[in-house]
Amino acid sequence: MNPFEVKDCALLIRMSGLPPAVNLRELRERIAACGENVLYHHFCETTLRPTFDDPDYRNDFAVWSKLYLGDRVLAERLGILDPYASDSMEELRAAVLDIIDDRLAELTMVPWVRPGDEFLFKEATTVVFDTGERIHHPRDLAPAIGRMTNGSVYYHFLEALRRPPIGKDDFSAWLLEGGEEYASYLVSLGSIDIQFHSLAHLRKELVAALAQAGVGK
Amino acid sequence: MSPLLSAYEAIAGSSALTQLRRLGEKLAGLRVVHVNSTREGGGVAEILEWMVPLMRDVGVDASWEVIHGTPRFFEITKAIHNGLQGKAVDLPKKDWRIYQDVNEENAQRLRPLLEEADIVIIHDPQPAHLLKLCPNRKGKWIWRAHIDISRPFRPVWKVLRTIVDKYDASIFSMTEFAQPLPHPQFLVPPSIDPLSEKNRELGPEEIAGARTEFGIDPERPLLVQVSRFDRFKDPIGVIQASRLVRKVIPVQLVLAGGGATDDPEGKAVLEDVMEAAEGAPDIHVLLLPSGAHTTINALQRMADIVLQKSTREGFGLTVTEGLWKGKPVIGGDVGGIRLQVVNYHTGFLVNTPEGAAHRIRYLLRHHDRAAEMGRIGREFVRENFLLTRHLRDYLTLILAIRSGREERVVFV
Repeated sequence: MNPFEVKDCALLIRMSGLPPAVNLRELRERIAACGENVLYHHFCETTLRPTFDDPDYRNDFAVWSKLYLGDRVLAERLGILDPYASDSMEELRAAVLDIIDDRLAELTMVPWVRPGDEFLFKEATTVVFDTGERIHHPRDLAPAIGRMTNGSVYYHFLEALRRPPIGKDDFSAWLLEGGEEYASYLVSLGSIDIQFHSLAHLRKELVAALAQAGVGK
Repeated sequence: MSPLLSAYEAIAGSSALTQLRRLGEKLAGLRVVHVNSTREGGGVAEILEWMVPLMRDVGVDASWEVIHGTPRFFEITKAIHNGLQGKAVDLPKKDWRIYQDVNEENAQRLRPLLEEADIVIIHDPQPAHLLKLCPNRKGKWIWRAHIDISRPFRPVWKVLRTIVDKYDASIFSMTEFAQPLPHPQFLVPPSIDPLSEKNRELGPEEIAGARTEFGIDPERPLLVQVSRFDRFKDPIGVIQASRLVRKVIPVQLVLAGGGATDDPEGKAVLEDVMEAAEGAPDIHVLLLPSGAHTTINALQRMADIVLQKSTREGFGLTVTEGLWKGKPVIGGDVGGIRLQVVNYHTGFLVNTPEGAAHRIRYLLRHHDRAAEMGRIGREFVRENFLLTRHLRDYLTLILAIRSGREERVVFV
């Protein structure tokens, strides 16, 4: 196995250039037209932003629906969407639009927000740093993850899902190089439900899962 | 590792410093010039005081220039500032002419430096017109807006927009502060320097010294608001809140602030504050000199609760400072305070003096909750609002602007 190269990352966030959405119909129009990176930011990069507490939902559209549109039904429907379960951002976009269209059809008026509470569309560049740290054996993976920054955890376990091999986190991809010997670890990693974790919590889950599978021993 | 940066390793962590070192290698020798309107007083000068040396420390050829202006110029730029924050102000064409003329005078002096620089970062509206006065500029120009211009007074924004839309990029502290502009708009929250005089750890004797100096009773609870004497900081509302609390708890209040050379309105506000505090010996109104960082540090550390009851706010660095010192913060439900203060986690957001009084009473009656909020707040600042993160954002942004590509992933 080649050594595992530990990377770290940070987001450089910018406005997308899309006009703000002041009601649900405008939100739909903007989501239909926005770039994939905008969608990705509001669904997947929320964990790496400077936010304080875990919101009820992990994507910004659901949070906005709940807090500002005051539409808890829509928030629940959007909140359950798992971006990592979609094969592509286009598939995810179609799912979001379908939910919003259904909701618009149910409502007798289009929900709107007050000035100052508009949905503002953003996107980000992920800046990746080589930490210089290398992991040479799978038994060292759990303690190394325990020392990783939030940026490293995000890059290797979440952001990796969007890179080839698509849908595979970096830790699992590396363990696969070791063949059948590490199959139990792969099962453990695969059992983690990433939908509800902050990065700090996810780090603890990863360490626990690998320790349970024997890698940490 | 460079000596200045290495001092932050124990606080920010080695990974943060590794990131900065890698970025510094990429940008070594780059000429970056910051321009603002005051060398001391206010959050921008404080940021530049540490940022410029640290940029140099990682290898960037950074410098800091300050524009000079007449008292009338600063009255006009204060009106522009207020207008951008939503206040209806009267700015006739002759005032904009004075604004342009003072920028022109400064351009005479700064033009060679600015036109040769690889990156010029213009802070806030005061020096923004310099771009038009440097037609042979070689580098990229960035406008850094530190204030909340989410709902500007339109006549002011319409003029300023014609000035700043020529920049190559702009930076805002929060998503909500940004205005549509025809160039990339980056989002970079500001930060604090944990080793500065204003934020370093203080010994008990230093805190006790300040307590004695200002006649603060150690036996009674203390509320502290540190900010310029500015109407948007609502010092009168803070006094009203403390008077409401005093009906049940013998609380003391310190309102401490300094003047800044670009803030002529401060004197009038201070007079109003003194009048509102008249006859209340437990309300201490302190006009501090611009270098009184240790005093401010001591006041924040001796506080039971830090207040920042602004009605408009940029980011609110005094909130960050209070959280870093392990204090619960009661802040106005506006601007960047919302990013930092979360109800029942790091403090409380309020909208009125009555709301502030209610939360003050809660915290003074629930010491365990107050201590827990302070602990959470400090870690929150460590993770998100220390200068190492801020410097990383700037260096990354410069790298991105120079590349001219808006890539999703950049390897450093």
